Amino acid sequence: MATPFASMLDGLTRQRGVTAALVVSERDGIVVDSNLQIGQDGDRVAALAASLYRKARLSARAAGMGAVSFMQLEAPGGRICAVGGGALVLIVVAESAVNVGLVRVELLKAIEGLSAAGGDA
Amino acid sequence: MNNVTVVESWIEAPLKQFVLDADAELALLLHPSGQVLAQHGFARAVDVMSACALAAGIHASAGELGKLLDGRPFRGLHHVGRARQIFLAEALWPRGSYIFLTVFGPESSLGIVRLYFDELVAALVAAAPLEATPATPALAEHFERDLNRNLAVLFGRA
Repeated sequence: MATPFASMLDGLTRQRGVTAALVVSERDGIVVDSNLQIGQDGDRVAALAASLYRKARLSARAAGMGAVSFMQLEAPGGRICAVGGGALVLIVVAESAVNVGLVRVELLKAIEGLSAAGGDA
Repeated sequence: MNNVTVVESWIEAPLKQFVLDADAELALLLHPSGQVLAQHGFARAVDVMSACALAAGIHASAGELGKLLDGRPFRGLHHVGRARQIFLAEALWPRGSYIFLTVFGPESSLGIVRLYFDELVAALVAAAPLEATPATPALAEHFERDLNRNLAVLFGRA
């Protein structure tokens, strides 16, 4: 059965260089919905990336920097990008060569849909 | 603080790693009968004894409830409190089945705890001595003696 997030996740994974897209509960780090390639461990990525995002958000707030709008982790083998929408986090796993600017725009656009679908709960 | 105490030494390293990785406040590994094997974060033997009895009871009840509803025992339980959360799950390895209970706060998450619980079980399977005798059901006549012996080991009174 298609979830309210299916078309949004499809749109993200259609971007060149994006290998996975996940909607994750920020507090629990549990996958709500995902588009993954065979062999990708969605549960592991979700738990760790949501934890990272939550801590980045809390760090930014503690430093008086306000809300985190976009988080990017760069590693030799690729990138993880995340944006938060209320109780949910939208996470994208991408290759190193991905157009980060485009991914950022798509994530920020998608987060509006995420909030409308219940992310502000 | 990472004050893990164990009844059998091979449990120590995997449990320490779990506590560190998952940011667990409390951790308890026990036999389904309620006999404690390792603990982290408890200050008093009586608290460990109570937690073991409750965890064994909850695990047994959840198992039976699962059989009634789904035809097979529930193997994991998660409860969210106001400030802390509980994760209770069955750890299966060649020596048999054990119960693992952990309490974590807002620094951690269910996803992180589940992830590192799977790694803990894999590490325990790898660390378990091959010559160890399989876990046997606790006998009522020996239960209190064994429980007191294990608690004495954990709290430095052995």
